[in-house]
Parts: sequence; C-alpha cells; structure tokens
Amino acid sequence: MKALQVAASLVAASVFAVASAQDKGPSDPQIAGIVVAANKIDIDAGKIAKSHSKNKEVQQFAQQMITDHTAVNKQAGALAKKLKVKPAESDTSKALKSAAKDNEANLKKLKGADFDKAYVNHEVDYHQQVLDAIDKVLIPNAKNAELKGLIEKVRPAIATHLEHAKHIQASLK
Amino acid sequence: MRSALRAVLAAALLMGGVAAHAAGKTHAVRIEGMKFVPERVEVAAGDTIVWTNKDIVPHSVTAAEAKVESGELQTGKSFKLVARKKGEMSYICRLHPVMHGVVVVK
Repeated sequence: MKALQVAASLVAASVFAVASAQDKGPSDPQIAGIVVAANKIDIDAGKIAKSHSKNKEVQQFAQQMITDHTAVNKQAGALAKKLKVKPAESDTSKALKSAAKDNEANLKKLKGADFDKAYVNHEVDYHQQVLDAIDKVLIPNAKNAELKGLIEKVRPAIATHLEHAKHIQASLK
Repeated sequence: MRSALRAVLAAALLMGGVAAHAAGKTHAVRIEGMKFVPERVEVAAGDTIVWTNKDIVPHSVTAAEAKVESGELQTGKSFKLVARKKGEMSYICRLHPVMHGVVVVK
C-alpha cells in the first residue's frame, strides 16, 4: 500500500518534471491545455471520492475540489475564448492525463479507510506538484498578461487546498 | 425666539441624526486570494457591509450563530448586510472554513 503511494507520488513528480526538463517552456496554448487538464483531473478524482468515501470530511473536501476546480476551468475556458487561445496538448498535459488514469484505476480498487488515505495522500502530492508547476513552469512561461494573471489568481486556492488536504491527511493517520 | 431657534436646531440635529442613521456608511470587504480583505471591519450600528467576491472560486459569508448566510457567491457577486446589533460577529467561508473574518459593531 505504502509502496503504491510512493509510486503514485513519483509519477506525479515526474509528470511536472517533463515540463521543466523541456528546453523551451510551454507556449500559451500549451499552458492553457495544462491548466484545463490539471483542473479536470482533480474534478474527476473528486467525483470518485464522493461516490466511494463514507468519511464526511473527505466527502466535503472532494466537493470543494469539484466546486473550485470547475469554477477555475470555467474562467480559464472563458479567457481562452476571449484571447482566441486554443488549449493545446503538450507532453506535460499528456503525462498528467496518463498519471490520472493510473491514480483513478488505483482508487477504484480501494474501499473504506484505505480509499480515504490513498485519495487524500494523492491530493496532497498532486496539489504540491501543481503549486510547484505554477511557480516554476506556468507563471514564468506565460506570455499573455491575462493568462499569467489567471494563474496567479489560482495559486492561493491551490495553496489552501494543499493545507486542507494535509490537515485531513494528519487526521486519517 | 431663542427657544424657537433651539427647537429648530434640535429638530435639525435630530433629523440629521436620523438621516445619517438611515443611510449609514458602507464598508467594502473584498474576497480575494482566499482571504477576506480586510479581515476585521469596525462599523456603527446601521452601517452596511458589502462583501464582493473578486476571487476565482466561489465563496460564502457564513456566521452560523448570527444566522448570516450569503449562499455561494460566484466571482463578481456581492452580499450586503446591515449591521444592527452591537457586538462582534465572527464569520467564515463555508466552502473554505480556513477563511475567517470579523465584523465589530460599535
């Protein structure tokens, strides 16, 4: 079980490392694609947690993830439309989606306290990785000021989610 | 004459007082970066507090004890509250309970 969690966080870590390892940073359409993919992944994980978990705190957190990441994606979509930026795939967005598939497959196998721990542990790792990516990849490479502004606006929400997930993680031990 | 003047003055003061009380002041609180800004507002009874969500995610202004609930405020939406009772009202965002604020009615 522990090994699985370690493996999952390694996958998450390597996913964003793809972005920083690229010679050239992602373009604005690729950044938009990463933002949309990253939000959708957490909405999907939240939906699984809502239907699988019986823990009230975990369920509330999952609902918060669905609400917040849906709101962010709505605004990201509206901005992309306004700026006429078509979200594009990149190695990072593809790697994110593939890692999410593995995480979902893993979560669907688990029940009860095992599920709660695996979901929350992954949320902690995922939000930490997203926060790092925002600081090291997305904000430094975003060329359009409004796109950069949107990512800067998302950052405090991700930081709060991370703290909240860590708080639940500690209570599940 | 003097008493008449006094009465007029008193009436003017009273009316002025009433008018000021009815209109009150308006205090703006921004909800931004997962915070209430400012976190603490001091107001007089009769003043209005307006919270506006400038954040990217929905928030609420919730004080269960005082039975204040804004509902989910989407980006750009506001919630108004007229301060009536003196004292302190602590509130949170129901969606993100780590977010705190306080209204002090003097």
